[in-house]
Amino acid sequence: MAAAALCWALRAARQVLPSPCPRQVRSYYVDWRMLRDVKRRKMAYEYADERLRINAIRKNSILPKELQEVADKEIAALPRDSCPVRIRNRCVLTSRPRGVKRRWRLSRIVFRHFADHAEMSGVQRAMW
Amino acid sequence: TSSVLSKDKDKSAASKDSTPEGAAKRKEDGAETPKQQLLDIIGNMKVEVSYRKKLQQLKASENKKQAMNKLEGLDNEGSVPQGITEDTLRGKPLNPELVKAASAVASSLPRNKKQTESELLAQLRRHEETTDKQKKGGTVNIRNVISEMTVKRQSLAQRGARISGRISLQLDEDGHRIRRERSSALSMDSRSLKVGKRLNIFTKASTEPEHALKTVSSPTIWDLEFAKEVAAVTAQPPRNGFEEMIQWTKEGILWEYPIDNEVGMEDDAEFHEHIFLEKHLKGFPKEGPIRHFMELVICGLSKNPYLSVKQKVEHIEWFQKYFEEKKELLEEI
Repeated sequence: MAAAALCWALRAARQVLPSPCPRQVRSYYVDWRMLRDVKRRKMAYEYADERLRINAIRKNSILPKELQEVADKEIAALPRDSCPVRIRNRCVLTSRPRGVKRRWRLSRIVFRHFADHAEMSGVQRAMW
Repeated sequence: TSSVLSKDKDKSAASKDSTPEGAAKRKEDGAETPKQQLLDIIGNMKVEVSYRKKLQQLKASENKKQAMNKLEGLDNEGSVPQGITEDTLRGKPLNPELVKAASAVASSLPRNKKQTESELLAQLRRHEETTDKQKKGGTVNIRNVISEMTVKRQSLAQRGARISGRISLQLDEDGHRIRRERSSALSMDSRSLKVGKRLNIFTKASTEPEHALKTVSSPTIWDLEFAKEVAAVTAQPPRNGFEEMIQWTKEGILWEYPIDNEVGMEDDAEFHEHIFLEKHLKGFPKEGPIRHFMELVICGLSKNPYLSVKQKVEHIEWFQKYFEEKKELLEEI
């Protein structure tokens, strides 16, 4: 199933790097969902400080409530993609949304594939 | 060497006296004269005779040499004398001694005398011209080189020290062999390095005048393409894993080992700038909930080791701006 997904995965067009690299460079993201995820991450990074500050005003017992309501409205007015909750930790290679191990950022299938071919450093089949 | 020098000095004195004499007399001295003349010259180095006199001397010696060559070697007509080049002027008529020598040679030969004589003289003239040309080209004037050189006289004590040094292995405290410094040898010479005329052996690196800057408004497309091509050619793929890792490190993909936790983090601020942030609270009202809130903010920031001072100050300033904008609202409350 995942293999099929790999085969006919859509290629999202991205900007090709201007300087020539002798290595293989992945110039496309795996699919559009991955692209959108990337956009969300970028936006979240941009608005992180502001969100933090406004939330500090909101989650407060000292400041007057009116101020906090105003802050609520302000934060709601920010673009939707700027909130970090919308980020999904997808597999880096296959863009699989589920079954992704955080340490390697890979889906379980890819992880298993590499580990069996001894391409994962320090990873061994468990046996006890 | 001292004995040889003394002998040369005597000889040189004798030769100086006899210089104005004719060439015929000189021929009798035999094959020794050229060599001795050379020795004379070297022996006379210290005595800095005026340049003109030296010139004359050398010319005379060369004439004698040439005459000798002509007499002795019938096969080589007008051969080039070895050693010092002559410093004759162009267009100057040939030396009468040379002419005499040429005529003598011609007379000795069985063939047509006049023709041979004329040929010899022509060869001589040509030879002089070539030497002049060479001279103008800037060939090394050995005379100048040698003039500055002095014959080093070793004192007996020094000689003994040198020999003994060679034989024995003198060791320092550290175990290094004792070496006489080069500088001491140089300083022992009576002359210094920068005294005297230039030898012009080495050509000065010609400082090219900087070309007028070409007015390039922007690099042309061809230049860019060329640059890209050059970069592509020079960037060879890595031959092994090590080179690959080096390349990655240069690009920034791979970290540098041993890992430095503070790479890219250059916080030059002292600890007190991180902790005591009250001075930034000057824009806020001194009492009220806002002050309370800001003090909490400051407390939190002071405990944060991950932010730089700049970032903390930015936080506080943002709050200041925010509360100023909301002042009207706050007034109502």
